[in-house]
Amino acid sequence: MSTTDKAPLEIGFMPLTDSAPLVVAKELGFFAQCGIQVNLRRQNSWATLRDKLHAGVLDAAQMLAPMPLASRLGLGGTQRQFITPFVLSFNGNGITLSERLYQQVTSLNAMSCRAPAMPLPAESLRAVIRQRQKAGQSKLRFATVFPFSCHFYQLCDWLRSGQIVPGQDVDIQVIPPTSMVAALHEGSVDGYCVGGPWNAKAVRVGLGVTVVTSCDIWPDMPEKVLGMLQSWQTHNPDSCQALLQALDMACRWLALVPNRFEAARILCDEAYLHADLDVVAPALLGSCLVQESVAPRYIPAYNRFASSGETPDNCPNPGYAEWFLSHMQSSGQLQQNIAGQNIAAEVYRADLYQGVFADKLNA
Amino acid sequence: MPSSDACLEKPLDILLIDDDLDRAAAFRSALDKSRYQVSHLVSSRTALLKEVDRLKPDIIVIDIESPDRDILESLSTLSNFNPKPVVMFCDQEDTGLINQSVQSGVSAYVVGDVSSSRVRSILDAAVARFNQFQHLKQELDETKRKLDSRRLIDKAKHLLMTQKSLTEQQAFSSLRKMAMDSGQKMEDVARTLISLFNTLD
Repeated sequence: MSTTDKAPLEIGFMPLTDSAPLVVAKELGFFAQCGIQVNLRRQNSWATLRDKLHAGVLDAAQMLAPMPLASRLGLGGTQRQFITPFVLSFNGNGITLSERLYQQVTSLNAMSCRAPAMPLPAESLRAVIRQRQKAGQSKLRFATVFPFSCHFYQLCDWLRSGQIVPGQDVDIQVIPPTSMVAALHEGSVDGYCVGGPWNAKAVRVGLGVTVVTSCDIWPDMPEKVLGMLQSWQTHNPDSCQALLQALDMACRWLALVPNRFEAARILCDEAYLHADLDVVAPALLGSCLVQESVAPRYIPAYNRFASSGETPDNCPNPGYAEWFLSHMQSSGQLQQNIAGQNIAAEVYRADLYQGVFADKLNA
Repeated sequence: MPSSDACLEKPLDILLIDDDLDRAAAFRSALDKSRYQVSHLVSSRTALLKEVDRLKPDIIVIDIESPDRDILESLSTLSNFNPKPVVMFCDQEDTGLINQSVQSGVSAYVVGDVSSSRVRSILDAAVARFNQFQHLKQELDETKRKLDSRRLIDKAKHLLMTQKSLTEQQAFSSLRKMAMDSGQKMEDVARTLISLFNTLD
């Protein structure tokens, strides 16, 4: 091991259901088995998590899948050379409407509000949008967690699938996940796209109806990745490799449904999500809570910790990055011309993953 | 009597977002009799954008550990709010490291003691650097726009020369004439021509 490879690693995570691979690797001793000491550091905002990574306060962290790309491009701040060698999770988000909006949608579209056909087509919102326009009311307000997030792009894609133009027909703003349910309660937003446990929470307290999951919108795209500075990887190749091996063990452990309930119990701890099993467990077990006293939907892929297919892996294929870059372009976030640059493969480092798991990929 | 500096410089409104009431009070008193006027908000998490819109602060000060930081991040990307300098409180322990990350010119950090006179100079520096950065950015955008327009005109000119067998001078003159006749900018005419030629191909 190189000299910088010895100290405990400082790893950042956000208190969300899909922090499971990091929490499981720590609590089940996979990090220790792979010869590294890890301190998990809970963070309150993506922006601060990113800044701490950049400043070296954190060595690596759970990041929104589009974030390292946005930082590499200097979108929304300084250009930073982040990379990811490992996809931590796939899917996991949902769109929840306030009970009030949902009632309006069902009544204006003459649907039964107690036997909802899910996923709800976005075009059913148009009747409400039209009615508000006629009455001179403000636009519907939706929230998402960060400008460069799958949540934002998924919300936009879902709205566009119903010929609703984000920004023009409805407003979209950023609110931290921990404040989403309060915003729904106050009526300051009419709906949001967020990850677990914040969809289930709104349903459990009778404030929201989860009408669509991210796997209904995009099948099996990365949601969170392990982010780090390129320079950290260069100087700590052994630690990085051990980290990937431990996380691989955690993701394989999480593939088994019986283990998922155990993971949920661990995640509920004060040190991690500090939440009730009632809202953490369902998504991990493939259950999407829809509405209070309505049967949940069975969504086996609601939270995935490896890719789908016959040989699941966590390889950060540059193809995923291309998908996010195209969404940055279509949403107007990315205006510079990046043709001729190989940003996808520079940030999504499939080569690093393949270097560690050559055997597995060849099997 | 206020110092001459305070009289000369225009007053600036600060929106302070902090749940730590003691720190907020210390911060406010450190800026007593300065050009900074402080409005304090405990982290609202849902109403922040509304408050920013209502108060239109010149500068925002926030605890680095506040979840509301992500709302501030969205100011420049998702909404039509003007960019603002953001200054952050952070713990003593992160000092040197966090300071390394200040490069964008849009933020600065107040480390540790917020009651000292140092706070004022940090704010002054943050505002000055932010203005400088905005100025540079505008210049860069303008240069980029000029270059793009030049490139478009050259491309349209080239298309006219090859497709219509015009000389360079003739191509340029016909572009200029089209622009004058239609009351458009030359770059807009060039853009239309290029897309027209592309559709015909």
